[in-house]
Amino acid sequence: MVEIIVENLFFKYPDAEKYALKNINFSIRGGESIAILGENGAGKTTLAKNLNGLLKPTKGSVKIDGVDTRSLSVAKIARKIGFVCHNPDHQFFAETVEEEIKFGLKNFGFQENEIEKSLSEVLKTFGLEEYRHRSPFQLSGGEKKRLAIASIIVWRPELLILDEPTIGMDYAQRLNIQNVLKNLVSEGKSIIVITHDVDFAANICNRAIVLSGGEVVGDGCLRKLLSDPEVVNRASLRKPFIIELEEETGFSGIDEDFDSISEYLIKVFHKCHS
Amino acid sequence: MSFLRAFQYRKKDSPIHRLDPRSKFLLSIVLMVFSIVFIDIRVLLAVLVLQIFLLWSAKALKEWVYSLRGLVFFFIIIFFTQLLFGGTFLIGIVLSIRLIVLSSSMSWFFLSSTPEDIGRAMSSARLPIELTFSFVMAIRFIPVIHDEFQSIYDAQRSRGLELEKGGFRTRIRNLMPILIPLLVGTIRRTYEVADAMEVRAFGASPKRTSYKSLKFGRGDYFLCLISVMLVLVIICLKVFFGLE
Repeated sequence: MVEIIVENLFFKYPDAEKYALKNINFSIRGGESIAILGENGAGKTTLAKNLNGLLKPTKGSVKIDGVDTRSLSVAKIARKIGFVCHNPDHQFFAETVEEEIKFGLKNFGFQENEIEKSLSEVLKTFGLEEYRHRSPFQLSGGEKKRLAIASIIVWRPELLILDEPTIGMDYAQRLNIQNVLKNLVSEGKSIIVITHDVDFAANICNRAIVLSGGEVVGDGCLRKLLSDPEVVNRASLRKPFIIELEEETGFSGIDEDFDSISEYLIKVFHKCHS
Repeated sequence: MSFLRAFQYRKKDSPIHRLDPRSKFLLSIVLMVFSIVFIDIRVLLAVLVLQIFLLWSAKALKEWVYSLRGLVFFFIIIFFTQLLFGGTFLIGIVLSIRLIVLSSSMSWFFLSSTPEDIGRAMSSARLPIELTFSFVMAIRFIPVIHDEFQSIYDAQRSRGLELEKGGFRTRIRNLMPILIPLLVGTIRRTYEVADAMEVRAFGASPKRTSYKSLKFGRGDYFLCLISVMLVLVIICLKVFFGLE
C-alpha cells in the first residue's frame, strides 16, 4: 500500500511564465483506480510527473507515505510508483524483449531466480512469450506499448501510473490491458490512468480527477462527474457510452461490465423482471 | 546542455533582431577574429563590453548569463591545464575571458537570427540548397533533440536508472539506456523528415524562390561600417602598437 498526499501543489516549468498546475489538493490510498482526465494541455502528464518525483513542486508538497518527494530520488520512488510514459520508443534500448523487461528488476537489485520468475509471468500475461528473443525495435506499435507496460509492472509497484495506455491499440489489446489493470486493483494495488478514452476509464476506474487549465475542476466518483455536462464540456470530453446509454434508456444502476449493447439490454431486462 | 541555449533563437522584438543576418554575421566574424588574434586583456575586455552591449540591445543578456554556466566546465579545464604546465592564475583568467569572447561573438548572432533567415543569407551567398537546408534543419532540431533527451532520461529514471551512482565505468555503461533510444529516434526521424520533404516536392524545381527576401537597411550599412572600422583597429593594434 502506498499513500500519496498532494497539498496546495503549484508547478511552473523553468522557462514558463504561467503555472502549469495551480493549487492542487487530493490524496490517494491503496487499492484505488483513478482516471486523470482533461483537455490537451490541461496538465495531466505534469501532474503525473509530480507524483513520481520526476518533477518537484514549485510550491506546496507531494508526500509519499509521509515523505516529501523533494527529499527522495526518482529511483527510490519508482520502486513504489511505476510510471509508463506515453511514448514507448523513449525507453527501449536493450537487444531483446527479455533484457528490456529485466532492466528495472536489475536496477532494483532483484535476485536472479526472482528475475526469471517475474519475467516469465509477465511475458505470459502480456502475450509476449513468442517475442522473447526479438529486438524491441522490431515490434509493432501495440506490441511496443504492451512491452512498455510489462517492463514496469514486472517489479510490481504499489501504484502504477499509465500515460495514454490505449493509444494505437486495437480492441482486443485494449481489453487485455483492461483486464490486467483490473487484476492489479483486485490485488490491492492502485492505478492512475491518464487518458482521453472515457469508455476505457469508465470500465476500470471508480474515481476521476478532472483537470482543466492546470486546475482540478472535479474529483470524485467517475460516473457522477462524467454525467455532469459542465465538467464534461470544460475538460473537452464526452460522456462515456454507458452513461449515455443509461440516460437514453432511463435505466441506471447497471454497474456490472458488459461487452455489447445486447448484453446490456439483457441485464436491463432482468432488472425489470426482478 | 545549458551552453547550447546561448545559440538558440529567441523570438523577441529588438533593433538587433530586425537587422539583416548577413551584416550581423560579418560583425560576429570580426569580433571572433579579435578573440583569436589578441591575448591582451585590455583588448579582450573592450570587445567583451561591446558584446555585452550587443546582447543587451538584443534583449538576450539573461540567456547569455545562463549559458555561461555551461562554460564553467571548460574554465575548470583551462585552470587545471595551466596549473599542470606551470602557467599562472592570471593566464587562466585571460584564457577564460578569451573563451567567453569567442563564444559570445557567435551567441548574439544566433540568439537574434531565425534559422530561416540564416538559411536565406546562405542561399544569397549562392550556397547549394542541400547544404543550406541541412544547416538550417540542424539548428532547428537542437531544441527538439534536447526535449527528447529529457523525456528519455525521465523514462529511464522511472525504471530505476541512477546516473549518479557507481564508478566511472558503470556511469558510462548507464548512459547506454539513454543514448540508444536517442540515437534510434534521431535516425528514424531523419527518414520521416526526408519523406515529409519529398511529399512536399523538395527538390522538384532546381530554381527555388523564397517567400521572404532579405533587404539591407540603414542599420545594416552602419553595422558593416563598424565591422570595417574594427578590422582597421585590429590592423593598427597589431602593426603600430604591436599588441599580442
